[in-house]
Amino acid sequence: MVRVDENITVAVDKTGDPIGFLWRNGSYLVADKPVRWFARREWWVEAARVQRGIGAGILEVEMWRLMAIEASAKCKNQYELLHFTIDNTWRLVRVYS
Amino acid sequence: MSSFTHLHVASAYSGHFGVTRPEILAQAAAAAGDSALAITDRDGLYGAVKHIGACLKLGIDPIVGADLAVTDESGSALGRCVVLAHGQDGGLGWTALCAIVSSAHASGKKKDGISITLPRLAELAVRDGVALVTVLVGPNSDFGKATLIADRNIAANKLLKWRKALQATGSLGVEIVSHITEPGTDFCNQQALRMLQLADSMGVPAVLTNAVRYLQPDDAITADILDAARHLEPLGMFQAQPNAQAWLKTSEQMSRLAHEITQDGDRAKQLLNSTQSLADRCRLNPENDCDWGNPKTPEKSTLGIEGNPFEVLWQRANAGIEWRYPNAKEKLLIDVRHRLSQELITINRLGFATYFLTVADVAQMIRDMRIRTAARGSGAGSLTNYLLGISGVDPIEHDLLFERFLSVERTSLPDIDIDVESARRHDIYRAIFKRYGSNRVTLLSMQSTYRGRGAMRDSGLALGLDDDQIDQIAKNMWRFSARSFRNAIAVKPELAQLAEAIEEDRKMNLLVDITERLDRLPRHISMHPCGVILGDASLLNLTPVEPSGLGLPMSQFDKDDMDPMGMLKLDVLGVRMQSAMAYAVREIERVRGQSIDLDAIARDDPQTFKDIRSTNTLGIFQIESPGQRELTGKHQPTEFNDLTIQISLFRPGPMKGNMIAPYLDGRHGFRVPEYIHRDLEPILKETFGVVIFHEHVLRILNTMTGCGLAKADEFRRNLEDPRLSATVQTFFRQKATERGYSADVVQKVWEVLESFGSFGFCKAHGAAFALPTYQSAWLKTHYPTEFMAGLFTHDPGMYPRRLLLSEARRLGVRILPIDVNHSSDEYLVQNAPRRTTDPTEPNVGVRMALTEVQGISASEVQRIKDNQPYQDVADFYLRAKPSRRTLERLALVGALDEIAGLNEHTRGDILVRVRELNAVVKRPTIDPNQPMLDFTVVERMPTGNQDFTPADKVRRELEILRMDVSQHVLEEYREMLDEMGVIRSSELVSLRGKTEVLVAGVRVATQTPPMRSGKRVVFVTLDDGHGCSDSTFFDEAQQRCSNILFNNKLLVIAGKTRRTGVKGVSLMAENAWDLKELWAIWQQQKAQQRNSQKIA
Repeated sequence: MVRVDENITVAVDKTGDPIGFLWRNGSYLVADKPVRWFARREWWVEAARVQRGIGAGILEVEMWRLMAIEASAKCKNQYELLHFTIDNTWRLVRVYS
Repeated sequence: MSSFTHLHVASAYSGHFGVTRPEILAQAAAAAGDSALAITDRDGLYGAVKHIGACLKLGIDPIVGADLAVTDESGSALGRCVVLAHGQDGGLGWTALCAIVSSAHASGKKKDGISITLPRLAELAVRDGVALVTVLVGPNSDFGKATLIADRNIAANKLLKWRKALQATGSLGVEIVSHITEPGTDFCNQQALRMLQLADSMGVPAVLTNAVRYLQPDDAITADILDAARHLEPLGMFQAQPNAQAWLKTSEQMSRLAHEITQDGDRAKQLLNSTQSLADRCRLNPENDCDWGNPKTPEKSTLGIEGNPFEVLWQRANAGIEWRYPNAKEKLLIDVRHRLSQELITINRLGFATYFLTVADVAQMIRDMRIRTAARGSGAGSLTNYLLGISGVDPIEHDLLFERFLSVERTSLPDIDIDVESARRHDIYRAIFKRYGSNRVTLLSMQSTYRGRGAMRDSGLALGLDDDQIDQIAKNMWRFSARSFRNAIAVKPELAQLAEAIEEDRKMNLLVDITERLDRLPRHISMHPCGVILGDASLLNLTPVEPSGLGLPMSQFDKDDMDPMGMLKLDVLGVRMQSAMAYAVREIERVRGQSIDLDAIARDDPQTFKDIRSTNTLGIFQIESPGQRELTGKHQPTEFNDLTIQISLFRPGPMKGNMIAPYLDGRHGFRVPEYIHRDLEPILKETFGVVIFHEHVLRILNTMTGCGLAKADEFRRNLEDPRLSATVQTFFRQKATERGYSADVVQKVWEVLESFGSFGFCKAHGAAFALPTYQSAWLKTHYPTEFMAGLFTHDPGMYPRRLLLSEARRLGVRILPIDVNHSSDEYLVQNAPRRTTDPTEPNVGVRMALTEVQGISASEVQRIKDNQPYQDVADFYLRAKPSRRTLERLALVGALDEIAGLNEHTRGDILVRVRELNAVVKRPTIDPNQPMLDFTVVERMPTGNQDFTPADKVRRELEILRMDVSQHVLEEYREMLDEMGVIRSSELVSLRGKTEVLVAGVRVATQTPPMRSGKRVVFVTLDDGHGCSDSTFFDEAQQRCSNILFNNKLLVIAGKTRRTGVKGVSLMAENAWDLKELWAIWQQQKAQQRNSQKIA
């Protein structure tokens, strides 16, 4: 397992499931149905404000675990993606080989 | 799309767990189109009644359950389950749920949280093979946890255990929950699916819930903070909730979740359907299931009544006429009988006869225990209450109205509140339990909620801020709601430092936000200070109970739940003043042999009123606060009714409504009373045309519209609601005009009613309070020594005890210092030889109690008492066996002076001797057969050690007794104060207005009363040994001394005098300083002066 922490661009289908992403000039295609869950953030370490109504985005992030194939390579790897719903940005956090 | 019903919902009444109030949850469910909603608070039905009430109002079906911890027979944890009461079964489900909750509380130990054993749960859940409740085992149960482990059999076996215990159809269900957490962790989809599969394989019905903790995702942040408060650890130090999914999701979202878990459309539908089936089974019919709204009183037999309760009430009330009006003239008796009949007709129509008999029975029981009682509240307006001995104020003499208390327009059980001696309150509770049986009585609970400082402290804890930092901020939180914390920071000068800290410190910023989030959330349940619930033998079927701090069972319902549940709540309120007065009366009898019936003394004693008018009202019930003292100076009461008026005026309502000034102007002849119409003159004569009392409003409405007093009271209550007051207005204008009042009069009266009506005060309540006010003033006037002894022993009132001491000195009451030969655990009145030849010096005084010595234990006090008197210090050391610390402290405050023979020895000598004894490793025991050979304990007092200076003595007294006994603490600074020209507070009254002065003293009170302008005004009261001075700080002055305004104890204040009445003078403060700081500077200057003199 390799820890990564890089912004990536992700393409999603109409239900919001990721179908592919671009990372370090590579293009990856999602192979199986990805697994989604919600993880938490330690807002007391990071946040500047937590007033009423600020929204759960400060506490919660969407996580995706998926199998993907890089276009030029042949082997499938497992990847973990983090999705900030507040600004719809994605980060790649882990790669399992 | 069929609707989904949430069956597992914790409300904010799940202490330190749930976030959202039941009413808000119900509203959200109704708004989303749900047809029912459950509440399942942790460990009880704390929010259940509010939930049912809200559901009824919104037209959805309430479902009630509880989230409980379960153990096996041996006490090993089986996790938590949800128990849902079945509905529409004539209350069997509700009763079973109450029994299960009560049982969990009765057996569980509070320390590890409450729990119920599975066999006991099963026993109560099923009757005759029929399930009365459904027990849901979910992800928090042992079964749920086991499904996360790979071995399927382990989980299956766990579920089997539940299945075996709960075999009846419908008694067990599996609760499927997914918070879509990381696969393989609690509350993940995979766990949910596995639980579903196991449930299916074993034939246990499964239902879907969302294990709701809050209304919407944003509230998850608040849930984090509550978790920290529950764990008593900062965030990050414990396993926090996995994410923010535990909210009240919509039907559509829950349906999607079912599909996400099952990955199977049919199974998902089936899961949703079985959830609805269970919901249907649990829909409550509150009237049939919970006996909702049906008044419950003890059975006749328990009250010792035979026959028709109304006839018994009629007889008893009539018999009371002879007792209350022994020599009354026929005309009065006709009034009395007429009024009584009217009251009794109303009581009978409402069916409340048993209720009145019950309260009368309790009042009689309290009197039989020889405990002082008094009524409070609108109940004093009832002649029936007066004749039954429930209240002590004659409603006819004081012009009080029954209709304000009870009428056919108002069908809820009225509140009758009884004040008793605080020191005997628990005895009364026990006697009530004994008299009516513990199945008919429980104590009332109350939920304390997060407010300002408490919210701040727990927020600070959650963020891991250090205690000092939190304390510092909390100390400056003063009279504002935590909800508006951020706002307050911007405008309150004492929070300026915090405002700066926020700029720089992220955590401080968070602190403000989360403090606002916590505000007003229920915090913990505790015993209500005065409420007792009295019911019939079915009481415990309708309310769950848990042990209280007192050992007696306490209902999980609070006072707002009483009326909806039809429960009779009796307020037996402990009033320290009643204890203090009872104590004074006993001391008078003990020392002087005079017996006094306080309730029978004449209520027009001129000397008593003269003393009240002097404004030295410290220690007098209700009128001792700085504001009341100032008002006393302006008002100058001369009769009992004046006290009623004064007590009623000094309330937020009348103050906001600006009723005080016009009343005073009328009273002192500065203004001709304006009655608007001659018909109103008899009503408003007592208050010079100002509408103060609810009774005034009732009479005006009745006189001008002829609506009757009962209807008038309904109108009065509607006046407080802007939406309803419009209809009152229409009615009033129309009827008054019909009855011939001119448009001008109607308009003017309406304006008065509209603006003043809602601010008024119930006269009956004021009159009920005026009675102990008068009684305490009378005692203070005629028996000051005994009265002060009562005050010291029972400590009523709002001031620090050292101020009472200061007042005793001012009154000329002798304070006898603590003495191991004469002091006990109470303040006794004792004879004491005069120290001077002055024959006016009293030869009795108040002996201070041993309990004042800091750190002294109850058993030490008892030993000292038991072995009195003592020969000398060594004798005391040997027989009273005080701890080293206590012995030294007693020496330091002079409690050993007499036995040591202070004429020959100094306090220094005594201290040396005590330290010698304390150095002995093991205290020798006394053997009466052996001569004492140990030389350390044979008395031989050292000599020649230096005595304490007066300042030393005071310093030690303050340290050990928190009181300055030998002289006022300010005396030490007198030289500087005199040099500065600081005046004594007793001199203030003789000064002209607008004189610039300096006052000094110990802070005894700080108040920020509500102001009409909305601006904050701070009142600071100082005591300098010559009385109290009151200073008012307006905006500018508050800015100038923001850092000492709320903090420092010893102050010097500069300001201008402001005359407010014959005896009323206060200061408009301009600036204030810390006295100790001034003292340090002054001493420095003195030293420099001395030095320069030396050099010169």
